[in-house]
Amino acid sequence: MISEEIEKLKKEVWETFEKIQDLSHLENFRVKYLGKKGKITSLLKSLKDLSLEEKRRLGKELNELRDQLEEKLKIKEREILFKEEDKDLGLDLTLPGRAFPVGTLHPLSQIIDELCNIFSRLGFEIVTGPEIETEYYNFTALNIPDWHPARDMQATFYLKNGALLRTHTSPMQIRTMLERKPPLRIIAPGKVYRCDADVRHSPMFHQLEGLMVDKDVNFADLKGILTYFAKETFGEKTKVRFRPSYFPFTEPSLEMDIECVICKGKGCRVCGEAGWLEILGAGMVHPEVFNAVNYDTEIWQGFAFGLGIERIAMIKYGIDDIRMFFENHLLFLQSFK
Amino acid sequence: MKVPISWLSEFIELKESPEEVAEILTMGGVEVEAIENPYENLGNLIAVKILEIYEPEGLKDLALCKVTDGKEIYTVLTTGKTQVKPNLIVGLAKPESFTFSGEKVEVKAIKKFKSYGMFLSPYEAGLGEEKEKLLLLPEYSPLGESIYKILGISETVLDLAITPNRGDLLSILGVAREIHTLTSWKLNPPNFENAIKTGKKFPGKVEILDKDGCFRYAGRFFGNIKVKESPFYIQKRLWLCGLRPINNIVDITNYVLLEFGQPLHAFDWEKIEDKTIFIRRAYPGEKLFMLDGVERTFNEEDLVIADAKKPMVLAGIMGGEDSGVSENTKNIFLESAWFNQKRIRRSSQRHRITTESSYRFERNIDPEGVVLGLLRASELISKIAEPEIISEIVDIYPKHFIPPQISLFNQKLTKYLGFSIPSEEVENILKKLGQVRRSGYGFQFIPFSYRQDLKIPEDLVEEVARIYGYNKIPSSFPKSTLYCQSPSKILIFEKKLKDIFKSLGFSEVITYSFIDPKTLEKLNLEKNDPRLNFIELANPLSSNQSIMRTTLVPDLIETACFNFFREVNSLKIFEIGKIFLPTEDLLAKEPLHLGILLMGNANRETWYENLRKFDIYDLKGYLSSLFEILKVNVDFKPYSSETFLKSGVSFDLYLDGEKIGFAGEMKNLVLKDFDLKTCVFIAEINLQPLFEKMETLEREFIVKKPPKYPSTFRDVTCIIKKEIKIKEILDFVKTLSIPYLEAVDCIKIYEGSPIPEGEKSITIRFWYRAEDRTLKDKEVNEIQDSVAKKIFERFSAKPR
Repeated sequence: MISEEIEKLKKEVWETFEKIQDLSHLENFRVKYLGKKGKITSLLKSLKDLSLEEKRRLGKELNELRDQLEEKLKIKEREILFKEEDKDLGLDLTLPGRAFPVGTLHPLSQIIDELCNIFSRLGFEIVTGPEIETEYYNFTALNIPDWHPARDMQATFYLKNGALLRTHTSPMQIRTMLERKPPLRIIAPGKVYRCDADVRHSPMFHQLEGLMVDKDVNFADLKGILTYFAKETFGEKTKVRFRPSYFPFTEPSLEMDIECVICKGKGCRVCGEAGWLEILGAGMVHPEVFNAVNYDTEIWQGFAFGLGIERIAMIKYGIDDIRMFFENHLLFLQSFK
Repeated sequence: MKVPISWLSEFIELKESPEEVAEILTMGGVEVEAIENPYENLGNLIAVKILEIYEPEGLKDLALCKVTDGKEIYTVLTTGKTQVKPNLIVGLAKPESFTFSGEKVEVKAIKKFKSYGMFLSPYEAGLGEEKEKLLLLPEYSPLGESIYKILGISETVLDLAITPNRGDLLSILGVAREIHTLTSWKLNPPNFENAIKTGKKFPGKVEILDKDGCFRYAGRFFGNIKVKESPFYIQKRLWLCGLRPINNIVDITNYVLLEFGQPLHAFDWEKIEDKTIFIRRAYPGEKLFMLDGVERTFNEEDLVIADAKKPMVLAGIMGGEDSGVSENTKNIFLESAWFNQKRIRRSSQRHRITTESSYRFERNIDPEGVVLGLLRASELISKIAEPEIISEIVDIYPKHFIPPQISLFNQKLTKYLGFSIPSEEVENILKKLGQVRRSGYGFQFIPFSYRQDLKIPEDLVEEVARIYGYNKIPSSFPKSTLYCQSPSKILIFEKKLKDIFKSLGFSEVITYSFIDPKTLEKLNLEKNDPRLNFIELANPLSSNQSIMRTTLVPDLIETACFNFFREVNSLKIFEIGKIFLPTEDLLAKEPLHLGILLMGNANRETWYENLRKFDIYDLKGYLSSLFEILKVNVDFKPYSSETFLKSGVSFDLYLDGEKIGFAGEMKNLVLKDFDLKTCVFIAEINLQPLFEKMETLEREFIVKKPPKYPSTFRDVTCIIKKEIKIKEILDFVKTLSIPYLEAVDCIKIYEGSPIPEGEKSITIRFWYRAEDRTLKDKEVNEIQDSVAKKIFERFSAKPR
């Protein structure tokens, strides 16, 4: 008799259990079957009149049912509670988040950093020096005597005391070589000045000078180093070409062009239909420069290069007016985040 | 240097298009800046049809024509009254265009009649000599089309940028020679077989007194010449090269200068006193009224061509007004010389004159070209100016030019290039540049006289590499010594600062190192302020960039202005840059400074936050963060002595008792002078002492561990007098040696009702913690009570 009831109860319990939807169902269920007066509890109580063996068998069965049920209820309750938390109407998540203002370094600083990193990888050391220079360091020691028409290549700002604003970072070649013994491998980034102002020229701009002196560094190595630099800066696929040029402090001298990043060599307004963009000047250090710093040209040879930071930034970011770098409009600056 | 292809072709057989020639030159080291068609550069010179012709009232000599370019109808006034007929198609230079003679065409009005352009003569169109005739175009000409397209006429001119070492390329012949060197195309050098080499005895006297200034001086006398306009082909070639025709004699000197690169000068023979020509140093104070209309005073460094009494020419640069060739000139002396490039350069710099002539002398000319230039000019003069007498050539050449002998060893070439070029090829290349002789392991080389730039073996390395082709030399990486040095610490410091400010949300700016002295005036600095002792530029571009900055403040404020007027209402920027202070020496002191500027709103107005303006506590907070990261103790001393800051809202910053900067709110009056109508907070710090301090600081690195026992806090809230500073209370707390006190901070300040006027309510929070146990409430309360009591007593505080 009782065992039939138990079977019936079991069936009823599991059917009802499946129907539990929320916490109140669950609580009702618990009371109905597991409460002090619940059906399972009552049945358990009613076992006391049965034989010992039946009591044990049925008791065990009922207890197992109860334990099982309690276990399942716990799981069910957790399930329901989990779902409860999703019941709230969602927030308007189309609103913007609480923003934290993001700062930015000046694009020229970023380019200088990038170039310093590239040349640091090649073992170049970074040095800096004065922006107010003497004629000697800026010109004479670099094989540009006062009568030399090459001085026209760099329109110079003079100071009232006869000093000048350095027109290039090349004086750092002289300063470094006078201070140190070869071999050496340096780059010198910094501000330089020329009396020139239009969309392509700024009276103040930035250059990066490079110098390597050793017993066996040659023209082919210079090409190698510069090609590496171009590919690191403008991308692996960048094509370069080298043209002969003239700088009083290098011999042979060269200029390096990269294939125009805008038109890919087809010719456009940016590259003046040439398909190539001039990137830098370089060459083997002129013996007169070594003489000025007392390096023995029988032992040492080397190369030097100089490039304009603004020019690289303008090409890289497609900027057509150099003045924007020094106007520092916030929108302009923030585009380099 | 403009090189017309048509002229160039006289000296070399060009086997490629002008574009290809340009490419060959560029890759050979002669940069071609542009390939131009000067006819196109003139502008709108177009075909128009004459529709109707009127006689303008009161202008009898003129005709007023109604013309059409196929689209619009214009009126044009013309003097060619007899030549115009309806239905004729003629050339019109529209307003804004240029004509051959260099005139800019504009809309002209005579009485009430307007002329929208000018009818072209063949001459003004640059097509022929006729000036009076109208340029008539074929009947079928499409209206509005360029007359040059209709006539199928064009000229191609290469515009070359010649590097200062290659004076020999400043001529058509020179460029032809260079193309020959690069390509081996056939060169047609000028032929002097039939040149007029001899003549009558020279009727004067020439003497070089300054042998340092003049190395060679040649000349020739021409008698009874006719000074007139040059034939059209000469004028056209000058025009193609960007020069204006003047008269046949002057034009011929320019023609030869362009063709051979040899500057010439023609004197009016009658103006030469005693028919004596001296090449000498100028006497100090000697004056000459020159061709550009300026009178210049010379010194002993200047080289002049003088007669017995007076200087006539600043040698190699420019002639005097008086001794030049004019319409009335009958007899001339033609000079062709080789002057010392250094002397010419210095004079031209000193007097700020650059001419076609000085430009070439500065870059050195071919010593052997002196007489050749004279011969070429003689040929042209005899053809064009019809001289009755031609003298012999006077050629004073005291010390003949001896070209250098240069040794180039194969090993040197290979070591320099990192690549070996076969000897035969090297020899072939060198042969194009001079005389070559193989010797031992290399070559003995003597350059042609026009290659004055070749002096040392390295010059030959470049020539060989360049003509062989830079791009045929492979690339490699250096085989070199590895050595390492510590990177520059100041650079690392600078980079660290930049990264800190970036992480604090600042944008970095870079501003000009030169500023306007007026901006310093606006700061209202004390008279003895060191910032007023600035370095001045001798040749600034403008007065607003005429001194080197002694502070970053003006640049920062101007940056703020630039942004403010372009709709930026919140700005948070910094700059790290040098300022420049004069020293006893030539060089300046260039300390690195840091500048910070906050302007306008501290945030944006959003759904979660109200708008707030920047205030002094933002600035102080950022600076505190900076110093915390740098682990330096910088004192914020209220109130700053800077004249441009609001005293009550500013600090001076001190490091170890030395002032290193300031921070505060700009005075409204100062901002008004900069036209800025918003609040600006600014700070400037000299980074040098900060950097030095960090270098010397014995860095005690304290690693904090997580606490084992909990902390507890107690607040004291009280009402005190308004003028009592929080720091006074915190300093007082420090003196009390409170046990277990971990931290103390002011967490609330309130002024206003119901707090009485002149007082404020403050809340100070005390944090307690023991390292070895959890503190009991009771013991903390006891400590706190006693502390509170002392604070109340000391500051006469009232309970809230």
